[in-house]
Amino acid sequence: MVYYLLICRSLTYAQRTAAVLERAGISAHILRSPAAISTTGCSHSVKISQRRLAQALVVLKKVEMTPKQIYMTEADGSYREVRL
Amino acid sequence: MIYLDSAATSLQKPPEVARAMAQAVSRYASPGRGGYSASAAAAECAFRCRTELAGLLGAAGPEQIIFTSSATHGLNIAIRSLVSSGDQVVISGYEHNAVTRTLESIPNLEVRVAATKLFSQEADLEAFRSQIDRQTKAVICTHVSNVFGYILPIGEIATLCRERGVPLIVDASQSAGVLPVKTEEWKAAYVAMPGHKGLYGPQGTGILACGKESNPTPLLTGGTGSESRMQQMPSYLPDSQEAGTHNMPGIAGLHAGVQFVRRIGTERILAHERQLIRTLAEQLNMLPDVKLYLPGNRAVQSGVLSFRIEGRDCETVSEQLGQRGIALRAGLHCAPLAHQLAGTSETGTIRASVSAFSRQMDVMALAAALRNKMEI
Repeated sequence: MVYYLLICRSLTYAQRTAAVLERAGISAHILRSPAAISTTGCSHSVKISQRRLAQALVVLKKVEMTPKQIYMTEADGSYREVRL
Repeated sequence: MIYLDSAATSLQKPPEVARAMAQAVSRYASPGRGGYSASAAAAECAFRCRTELAGLLGAAGPEQIIFTSSATHGLNIAIRSLVSSGDQVVISGYEHNAVTRTLESIPNLEVRVAATKLFSQEADLEAFRSQIDRQTKAVICTHVSNVFGYILPIGEIATLCRERGVPLIVDASQSAGVLPVKTEEWKAAYVAMPGHKGLYGPQGTGILACGKESNPTPLLTGGTGSESRMQQMPSYLPDSQEAGTHNMPGIAGLHAGVQFVRRIGTERILAHERQLIRTLAEQLNMLPDVKLYLPGNRAVQSGVLSFRIEGRDCETVSEQLGQRGIALRAGLHCAPLAHQLAGTSETGTIRASVSAFSRQMDVMALAAALRNKMEI
């Protein structure tokens, strides 16, 4: 299943991000970022489904929150950064 | 025991505090350090606690809430982030040693004390107005005196600081959970407090609420579970200030305590504490040798009352009351400046302080014991 990972600067930021998305009806799951995309070492991500990315970004923008980076899963399990 | 030392720590806690702590010991791992459920549960608890605190303290959001080990810890972060050697700061005449000793440890610091007369909000505000100048690097002010329960005009002092462009550090040790704390409305740089007094959490917990624009310097460095490849501390809150493993039982207990405060409401707690102090003051006023240290205006008094008994040593009286099961605090209360202002530096005072759990019968028992003081 294809999904997006919103990389957050901190666990608390990820928790805030997930809380905002959940309140907007977007299912969001916090996880530790895969090492392959965690460029500075440990970080946390918010996982959302592929079809909710656009809506999620609109919701986050309204509350002035921005993910550090966004990654999309590829069919082979690798990650590709999404440039907006 | 009749416990009247809540200004030191609130011994009586809501039962859910101990329950939450016990649960944390067996169920919570380190927050954010793993993807498993015990780590996620701890992270969720910490986040809920931060969110609850941000609401209670009027902070911009949960990231502005730093968990510390005490108010002293938070004040150290705040002061050392804003003040350096050679600077000038202005403090109130009621500051605790948590502030004054920290300032004393910074070399070549000019410390101006905005103090004139006891229990006058107008005089205090005027003193701050005259002491703050262009060289002032920070104003540090307690919200409520831990010795006298006197409420300082923090809203007005905050406005003055904003007008003069001087960062404000508030010591809310005696006010958090009792009076409204308005971190963002005051535009305070930092508001520090313990978790174990009016917030009914356990000892070993504290909070530093940071203003939206504040970027504190780390006091401790170490692992944060974030940016681990980097050898510098993360630059963002709360990670920049929370090196090491979190005190999860403490945070869980604090969360339960803060929920209790929000459920009851600070207004009701303050009204209850004021009523008890009023009763105690009325009772003690009837005793000929007792001198009370109370503001004339009751609206600037919280749940703390200091008094002396003429011709009696404060520590000895307190010790003897302790032997009768009445817990009070005597001496200088780690606040020598406040005692200088009251003229009690040599004698100290006896301090009775109440909480949401104190009862009318507690203060009546103290009054009765003092009425029979000749037997003490």
